[in-house]
Amino acid sequence: MAKSKANQANPADGGLTLKKQKEKLTFNVIWQRYGTFGILVLLLGILAVAKPENFFSTATLTQILAQSSVNILIAMGEFFAILIAGIDLSVGSVVALVGMVTAKLMVAGVPPLLAVLLGILLGAFLGFLNGMLVNVTGLHPFIITLGTQAIMRGVTLIVSNSSAVYGFPASFTNFISKNVFGIFPIVAIIAIVVAVILSFLTRKTKVGRNIYALGGNKDSAWYSGINVNLHTLIVFIISGICSGIAGIVLLGRVGSAEPAAATGFETYAIAASIIGGTSFFGGKGKIFGVVMGGFIIGVINFGMNLLALPSTLQQVVMGALIIGSVALDRFVARKR
Amino acid sequence: MDTLVEMKGVVKKFPGVTALKDISFDIKAGEVHVLLGENGAGKSTLMKILSGVYQPTEGTIVIGDKEFSKLTPKDSAENGISVIYQELSVINELSIQENLFVGKLPMKKIGPVKVVDYAEMNKRAKELMAKVGLKRDPKTLVEEISISEKQQVEIAKALASDSKVIVMDEPTASLTNEEVNHLFAVIRNLKKEGKGIVFISHKLGEIIEIGDRVSVLKDGAYVGTKLVSEVTQDDLVTMMVGRQVKKNYQHENAPESFENEPVIFEVQNLSRRDGKVNDVSFKLHKGEILGFSGLVGSGRSEMMNAIFGAEPRSNGKIFIDGKEVRIKSPYQAIKNGLAMVTENRRETGFFHNFDIKKNISILPFIKTSKGGGTVGLVSKKFEKECAEKEKQDMNIKCYSVEQNITELSGGNQQKVILGKWVAADSQIIIFDEPTKGIDIGSKSEIYALMRRLSDEGKGVLVVSSELPELLAVCDTIAVFREGEIVETFSHKDATEEKIIKASTADIVRKEGA
Ligand SMILES: Nc1ncnc2c1ncn2[C@@H]1O[C@H](COP(=O)(O)OP(=O)(O)OP(=O)(O)O)[C@@H](O)[C@H]1O
Ligand SMILES: [Mg+2]
Repeated sequence: MAKSKANQANPADGGLTLKKQKEKLTFNVIWQRYGTFGILVLLLGILAVAKPENFFSTATLTQILAQSSVNILIAMGEFFAILIAGIDLSVGSVVALVGMVTAKLMVAGVPPLLAVLLGILLGAFLGFLNGMLVNVTGLHPFIITLGTQAIMRGVTLIVSNSSAVYGFPASFTNFISKNVFGIFPIVAIIAIVVAVILSFLTRKTKVGRNIYALGGNKDSAWYSGINVNLHTLIVFIISGICSGIAGIVLLGRVGSAEPAAATGFETYAIAASIIGGTSFFGGKGKIFGVVMGGFIIGVINFGMNLLALPSTLQQVVMGALIIGSVALDRFVARKR
Repeated sequence: MDTLVEMKGVVKKFPGVTALKDISFDIKAGEVHVLLGENGAGKSTLMKILSGVYQPTEGTIVIGDKEFSKLTPKDSAENGISVIYQELSVINELSIQENLFVGKLPMKKIGPVKVVDYAEMNKRAKELMAKVGLKRDPKTLVEEISISEKQQVEIAKALASDSKVIVMDEPTASLTNEEVNHLFAVIRNLKKEGKGIVFISHKLGEIIEIGDRVSVLKDGAYVGTKLVSEVTQDDLVTMMVGRQVKKNYQHENAPESFENEPVIFEVQNLSRRDGKVNDVSFKLHKGEILGFSGLVGSGRSEMMNAIFGAEPRSNGKIFIDGKEVRIKSPYQAIKNGLAMVTENRRETGFFHNFDIKKNISILPFIKTSKGGGTVGLVSKKFEKECAEKEKQDMNIKCYSVEQNITELSGGNQQKVILGKWVAADSQIIIFDEPTKGIDIGSKSEIYALMRRLSDEGKGVLVVSSELPELLAVCDTIAVFREGEIVETFSHKDATEEKIIKASTADIVRKEGA
């Protein structure tokens, strides 16, 4: 066809001005590209002005990084669930259950490294369960994970007898709390490593491409030969692993396993994903954005502590900020 | 005749593309004004400016005695303009009657509160549905009705808001002949009532039948307006494409019967679990293009979906080059060398979140992957090459393969979907309504492509509701009726009359009895 076309006196796009123009740097474009980053800089700026004496210290940076890491880890798993137009409400419960089981194992004398591996494996398994339930029942992940959230929290309470577990090897807690070069927390490095791996997965691998396709149009994905159930399963396993790692990081930082740990963390994870530009309708979003989103939530949390807002008020402010930032994003998107 | 709407000097620029260059267009009361042009010529864009979806870069729009420099969807609706888009916009989750009155539900007062007056709604819905000939309970959910019925709902909706101008963007793309005749009866009634109709279609026969005036656009520029009574189909082709197109794509020296050629694809005793296809068998020979005709719902697409593994079979064997293949999912079908251009691009064809290149490359990637499609990396270089090649071959009009597919015109989206399946270099390719929404010039190129694929030794199966299309490309045409193949014609014997008779014989007999 190409040949016959070339011979024609009148190539089809001859008259059309089909040249690639430089995109104009309107507010929309800037917002799309740098919006999340802008919010972050703005927030840090506010903090710097409000509390310059605390802000300009390396300890502050270290603390923000460490605090954000748990949130970023969970959010990256949540991101995948949202990417396929689903959601994972069980992330907080997975964090708690994995933390609790890992703690119990270590207290029982299992070497920390093995306990950690088993903990992550448990996270993967819990994700696998979520995925299987979604596939077998055909129900929306919202319903499934709403249920498993309660079940997993219940199991955590049973396993722990409703009480905190502590007294595990110092080698574990010391490692997790370590700072590289004195300023860079090891947990942030863990989060970065996971982010790099997942970012590679989303951008360079076929499985990543398939997940985006599935999120964009499930039926097209099926007709294009994508195994819908398999990829749904993979997504929930990734989410489970991320929450599992987060559970272990949290355990090491806190130094004890609480049965009520990470309650409500799914809110932060969802918020981080959405603030980071992930579409609730599926198929759109980037890991980098989610990392930024998680970082923003961390900065907001840190800032509110620094300004000594009472924790009750912190909840209110956090909720309002989430709605505000997403609404702003929608508003800009609509004006395009 | 009164002029209802006049668009003057309209220019529309998108980033990278000037879609409309100084277009003037008017709509008179009681006429059908046809808008004609190649894919991407700007027809839908012009109509979206009229309906307020897009704002023009330059130009004015006069509706009655009011002049606008741009319209909002609300302005447009309030001034009596209704547009039935290429991609239907009915709400599947609502009933027919609720769809008709979306945003303007009839209300009644019970004491101090206002509630929806369902009785009134039902009554008015019935009247409107009678006007467009839709024989359904108004309470039926829209997701349960066929595409043509959805279209009737859209027209009824336009009547419900008492529009003066009704724009129909490719209304007949998914309709059968019968349904098209029906639509035309409705359009003729609307004309009598003094409505102005804008009709967009790539089917020239229809344009001659229903149109009063025809305006042609080319590459966003205005070519001219003619009275339909004064032009022939050939004139229209020349105005639009700038040349004549071939009418037939069969080889002159094709054998009378392909019996003696090697069989490259065979289906034996295929039945679907839901009973929509019963015990169908056929063979495809080397060099033969096999077409499937029949009414919508007669089982053609249903059979193809089952062959492709997308829907479960209860029985049936599939052979490629004489070897039996096991196909239980599209993945296995693709791995075994099958491809299928599905009937409905929006629902089962494209990924709205992907650009052109990702939409095309997904298939080659799946085909070359391992582990159920999961293992492997995406190569940016391969992806780009693959997309550039299909852009050339399919003549996709876009400024870059990195453009999002939703920014393309309807016909160009369809070309991307075709490119996606061809890119996977499959052995057997099923084309289900391949030229839906594609302009006449590009159609001829797609027919030539099918013939080329067949000459290369690949299997080509075509399902189409457009008889001229089947007659133009197929060597053999099988006719479906109620889930079975009832008759098979060779190209030399096939005529439209015979095929129509074969596909409706039973129904006629039943009605006669
Ligand atoms: N939102 C958009 N962004 C960028 N370009 C667009 C957008 N919408 C349309 N275009 C471009 O404008 C041109 C005209 O498109 P339009 O949809 O009006 O064509 P059409 O005449 O309706 O074609 P078809 O017969 O294929 O439906 C095309 O080149 C298309 O790519
Ligand atoms: Mg169009």
